Amino acid sequence: MIEQQYNDDKLHYAFYSGCCFQGTDARFFDILQQVFDKVDVELHLIPDAVCCGAGVIEERSELTSLSINARNMASAEKMGLPFYTPCSTCFNVISNVQKRLGEEAKLFDQVNEILAEDGIEYKGDCKLTHTLWMLAQDVGLEKLKERITNPLNGIRVASYYGCHTRNPADIQKYESSQNPTSLEDILKVLGVEIVDYETRDDCCGYHLTWPNNQLSQKMTSSVLQGAHKQNVDLMVTSCPLCFKNLDGVQPKALAAAGQDFELPVLFLPELVGLACGMSSSDMKLDFHNVPVNVRL
Amino acid sequence: MTEKITPKREKLLANLRVQRYTPGKDRAPYFDNFKVEVETGMTVLEALRYIKDTQDGSLTFRAFCRSAICGSCTVVVNGNPVLACSTQLMPILKDFGKASVTITPLQRLPILRDLVVDIDPVIEKLAKMHPYLMENRDRIPETLEQESLMSQKELSEFNYITDCILCSACFSACSTVKVDDNYAGPLTIAKAYRYSVDARDSFRGMRIQAAMDQGLWSCVQCRKCINVCPKDTRPADSIRHMRRIAIDDGIHDTPGSRRAKAYTDDVEKIGQVNKPMLPVIVHGTKGWAAIEAAEAALAKHGLEPTRQVCTLPGQEGAAKIYAKVREIEKKEKA
Repeated sequence: MIEQQYNDDKLHYAFYSGCCFQGTDARFFDILQQVFDKVDVELHLIPDAVCCGAGVIEERSELTSLSINARNMASAEKMGLPFYTPCSTCFNVISNVQKRLGEEAKLFDQVNEILAEDGIEYKGDCKLTHTLWMLAQDVGLEKLKERITNPLNGIRVASYYGCHTRNPADIQKYESSQNPTSLEDILKVLGVEIVDYETRDDCCGYHLTWPNNQLSQKMTSSVLQGAHKQNVDLMVTSCPLCFKNLDGVQPKALAAAGQDFELPVLFLPELVGLACGMSSSDMKLDFHNVPVNVRL
Repeated sequence: MTEKITPKREKLLANLRVQRYTPGKDRAPYFDNFKVEVETGMTVLEALRYIKDTQDGSLTFRAFCRSAICGSCTVVVNGNPVLACSTQLMPILKDFGKASVTITPLQRLPILRDLVVDIDPVIEKLAKMHPYLMENRDRIPETLEQESLMSQKELSEFNYITDCILCSACFSACSTVKVDDNYAGPLTIAKAYRYSVDARDSFRGMRIQAAMDQGLWSCVQCRKCINVCPKDTRPADSIRHMRRIAIDDGIHDTPGSRRAKAYTDDVEKIGQVNKPMLPVIVHGTKGWAAIEAAEAALAKHGLEPTRQVCTLPGQEGAAKIYAKVREIEKKEKA
């Protein structure tokens, strides 16, 4: 890959937004930009990307999923920048496509034959990353620490990765998939107290929202209850879909489980932003479904 | 000249926290701690044997082949189900950065004693999937001397699943099994798929029905099963494939298949999923209540609700790709 040259000290990424960062969720994009500005990261939107299909398109046609995501990566390759997506599911699906096309030469050729229809070529050499490793490794914890102006000391936090940056293990080489630490590493720098809880590695159930809502809510409430038992102030997740589920569906899911508590959930960039001195209105915390009534 | 490789031999005194439980005798499972000098290369099974031989003869676990073939020694180490015989302790100790590991029996299965569980529930679920070939008459050879041969391509459809040894690691790790007792579990759906796409088989429809009865669309696709499978059979992938053949065979009337259709068609038409309308697409008119609730929530924040998201600039290119893929798939089917 040709590294695009920018004459500044910033880190530059081709930004693949996924569905959580546009439309009525566009506020998340503003939040990301504000937060990354603080740590000298600049995002360049991939202009002609399409939805990754969230693995669901594979239930109709695997080749379609492989091809459109190879095309998404090829667009980033053209920009000469590493491919960054804040969405864990997008990361999972696209990374899996990169892995498969890297392993299966025949498939690689076939996909490129398909992409030729659109006059684009997939080389397979773009670096994929997610917020977790961008902050913990590219930006680095040292630099992040320098930018903290509002250390969040004394706040008890349950850290939650979600599944799609962890499983399967072969989608990422940044850290151990059985015992990841990047999220906790970042949170420690922000000053919070990390609390261990039994449902940390469980699934929040987001991807069952449509096919089986009842099971989905069971999973959601189970994850929340695990954290609540440890008396945490809030939950922080690195996955925007987990956030949407744990925050948005929380009242319904807990009511269905006969539970009566509220647990504020934050999306990791929001907490980073707050620790970097931004206000809760900058981070648009009033958009949360479960009120964030913790002093941050 | 070949260079002699001498692996670095390390030793570490570790604490093995092992779950003990004898139903009918103990009120609840408890933990015993055993000190074991873990050496480079030492497997979990070797450590358990060492404990049984030298410290506590009553420690009960199951193991047989010691070659990752029989699938009987699966235990959970630090929360991850593994084959005790093919999993070394040293890398786990290093990964978790502690001189201690916790060993528990497989989850979601009845404990018989200590680390031994009853896997009959898994086998019963598997049995409902018709996990055997029902002859495809077109593939029966003319004479007894001939064999029913398969092409490499036909074999590659399911070959990766045949390695499954029913160790039930995926069942233990499964997110859906945790919340739904009736769910088939990853390996059983994978097996159902394996037989359904075998060219020598003719029972695909019955297996699709069986898989749907046992929650084909209840899999959340967390992909933990792929992570824990000691034989790399990728059950979650097979579940997506099983859904695909179900839809191909005419199962269009489940929320899951409607979702798959909506995602696929939307990305072709507008480059993204038209999320605001998903409730109605997936659940029919019942979905309107959800749409109205979502719109009310948006209005509260001063956002204007929409029922049709914009077309992304990449849509045109994606549509070309869709057309080409369709052409290829049509040719392959013919």
